[in-house]
Amino acid sequence: MLKIENISVKYGAVTAVKKIDLVVNRGELVTLLGANGAGKSSTLLAISGAIKCTQGSIIFNEHNITTLTPEKIIRLGIAMVPETRDVFPDLTTHENLKLGAFIRSRDKIGVNEDMEKMFALFPILKKRLNQSAGTLSGGEQQQLVIARALMSRPKLLLLDEPSLGLAPTIVDQIFDLIRHLKDQGLTILLVEQNAVKALQLADRAYVLSLGNIATSGTAQDIASNSDLASIYFGK
Amino acid sequence: MLNKNNLTTFFILAIPLVLIVVSVDLINIRLLNRLAIILCINMVLVLGLQSFMGNSGILSFAHIGFMGIGAYTAAVLAMPIRMKAMALPDLYLILKTIEISPYLAIFIGGLLAALVAAAISYPLMRLSDAAAVITSFALLVVLHTIMVHWSAITNGPRTLFGIKYITDIYLAAGIAIVMLFLTLLYKESRYGLLLRAVRDDEIAAAAIGANASRLRWIGFVISAFIAGIAGGVWAHFITSFSPNAFYLKETFVILGMLVIGGTTTVTGAVVGTLSVSIAFDGLRTLENMINIAQVFPKPIVGMTEVILAISMIAILILRPGGITGSLEIGHWPSIKRRLNR
Amino acid sequence: MLGQIIQFTIDTLSLGSLYALMALGLVIVYGILKLVNFAYGELIMVTGYTLFLLNASPLPWLFMAVCAIFMAIFVGISTELIAFRPVRAKSVTAVLITSFAFSTLLQNAALLFISPRTRQVPLPDIFSESIELAGVITPIRNIITIVCAVLLLIIFALLLKKTVLGIALRAAASEFRMARMLGVPANLVISLAFAISGLFAGIVGILWLGRIGVVVPTIGLEPLLIAFIATVIGGMRSLQGAVLGGYLLAFIDVSLSYSLHQDLLQFRDAFTFSFVILLLVIKPEGLIKGPATGQRT
Repeated sequence: MLKIENISVKYGAVTAVKKIDLVVNRGELVTLLGANGAGKSSTLLAISGAIKCTQGSIIFNEHNITTLTPEKIIRLGIAMVPETRDVFPDLTTHENLKLGAFIRSRDKIGVNEDMEKMFALFPILKKRLNQSAGTLSGGEQQQLVIARALMSRPKLLLLDEPSLGLAPTIVDQIFDLIRHLKDQGLTILLVEQNAVKALQLADRAYVLSLGNIATSGTAQDIASNSDLASIYFGK
Repeated sequence: MLNKNNLTTFFILAIPLVLIVVSVDLINIRLLNRLAIILCINMVLVLGLQSFMGNSGILSFAHIGFMGIGAYTAAVLAMPIRMKAMALPDLYLILKTIEISPYLAIFIGGLLAALVAAAISYPLMRLSDAAAVITSFALLVVLHTIMVHWSAITNGPRTLFGIKYITDIYLAAGIAIVMLFLTLLYKESRYGLLLRAVRDDEIAAAAIGANASRLRWIGFVISAFIAGIAGGVWAHFITSFSPNAFYLKETFVILGMLVIGGTTTVTGAVVGTLSVSIAFDGLRTLENMINIAQVFPKPIVGMTEVILAISMIAILILRPGGITGSLEIGHWPSIKRRLNR
Repeated sequence: MLGQIIQFTIDTLSLGSLYALMALGLVIVYGILKLVNFAYGELIMVTGYTLFLLNASPLPWLFMAVCAIFMAIFVGISTELIAFRPVRAKSVTAVLITSFAFSTLLQNAALLFISPRTRQVPLPDIFSESIELAGVITPIRNIITIVCAVLLLIIFALLLKKTVLGIALRAAASEFRMARMLGVPANLVISLAFAISGLFAGIVGILWLGRIGVVVPTIGLEPLLIAFIATVIGGMRSLQGAVLGGYLLAFIDVSLSYSLHQDLLQFRDAFTFSFVILLLVIKPEGLIKGPATGQRT
């Protein structure tokens, strides 16, 4: 479904991602692991169109999306949940969700259906429906942005560190949610620092280190063979 | 920090000024003399603006207002008493009877401008960047309003006449060279350096103990002092002026010079002043010739400003760092590194 | 005494309405783009000169006014395309300067191609008539201004709250990149912001010209300054803040007009500004906290 070939991402003089290759097949949950600064977020941002690659190509379902704008990429079916979450703080929960379906705004019935689905999946959001999103707790905001991303009925979901800054019980909730989405057939590319939990969920994994892919393989292989400490702290 | 690079920069930048003095002396045409003096005074203004804007990254529109403070202060203090009685009949008694040396008056003008800046600008320095710019703009308008209405001191919106002519090319160029030194000194001093740190990353700078508001305030006061001196020098050149000389048009020209030359460097201030002055004077002459020859049915006015505006936009699109970018001309190692890349 | 209070209230509300609309037009652009539009005042100039140029035509005044407002919208959008879009990526200061340069450009264009002297602007008779309200005589113009402003503010607020586009606009104002990632077309949102800004400026322009009756190339300076100050008071990023700032500024202005000693009246602007500085000393972030971003605006 998603094929990344030889891409590099630079921030000025610093190369964050150095010529990596990556594949995500339909229905898979692939996880991108690595220490801080390894280049994981940059990879996702490049896929979503938020930043440009200096070289290489990104192919999604036969479309070459390397140079497309974020607005076009979501319309092709890739939804991104950034590391910074980026709720719209002074819009209500409801408005945030509505905006998630922006590209489907004309399909009012479908949007309402999906809204109900989200309430079933994320009951807390229904409780906070008319509250400003900025007043939600960290865990609630994370649920909101995932729900918001799902409102666009994406074919591929990019998740950047969903467990960041959340209490352990909430993290468990979030991961249960992700498992549920996977079971429903959604293709997911997950960036995570919490390697243990991510590998429990994933089909395959890539480990990034300083912009390069250090290892890759099935989640089981990585989990049993790799030195998890070095994944966390970098070589 | 008076290291080798900075001194080199100073001497290189001082050369055009010295050349100007020498050539004006030799050629001795009145018009050229005038243009050269105006160039030097503009350079002082642009240097003053650079010392605040370049280091703080904040655009200040109030600069020319301080020039006005310096101009009126110097004029009122140095004007011959008999002249004062005629030009400013409503002047306060204590000022009516004072007459001091123009050189001292100019200096006091600069000091007063700095004092006013010190007194009112601290709140501005705590504002976010855009709010600070906007408030500086409002400050210019207020200073202008005060100049227009405080008739006792400024003769209101009318022209104030009777100031002695003392600014020759030597004074103008001399002050320019002194201000060049001062601007470089400030830029490379601890205060200038820390202010640039704040400009680049306020939070990180705070972590090393930089007090953003205070540093900006220092820069603002210094730039006001320089502007005030420029005002006093200019007042004694032009010998008669009105508050309209210290408003938006002049602000635009000085800003243009700095932006086109390069906001972040003293070299940029100098290069900008030189190139825009020459271009401006050329265009003005052209405009006058066109009008005299009556090439168009109506006399064209404002063509020069239009071209300046377009140039500014073009430079910002094509070369946002201005002509000189971010390097000082005397910093040979950095230049060498840039050329090798 | 009651008459004075009513007079004061009408003066403050009508002036405040002008100020609030003017400030709102400025904040719409600033909120989304973090950019200060120095050429904003010139949109009033454009409104005025359009009216002046159309005066020779046999068209009814209302039609001319609508044309003038459309010109303001058009120039507003053009400002974005010419002065903002090419430099947006470069730096915030660059945009400030280009808009300042563009403002000078527009003023000098008017100077060159129309006239440096003041020109009379055609106005409908109703603008010069007066009406009596609760014992106080006031120009109908003031009432029209207040009604216009209230209507516009209500419509605008509804649009922002109820329509998808309005929600998208508000989203873009706080998290521009994220809005794009949800498919909100960046350039459309920006052009829309400038169009709305132009609409507000155009309407303020008509009402402003209604007060002074003439147009000069420099007519935009005072409204621009007012918009600036009202915005700063209100808190730079907040739409409600801009409106509040506008009315507050008018309140200060009118209060000073009523209370200042004759000799000091000409320095009224200086006093207003001093009040504003005082306000900023106490509250540098302005009156109303804008959309939370966690960074200094």
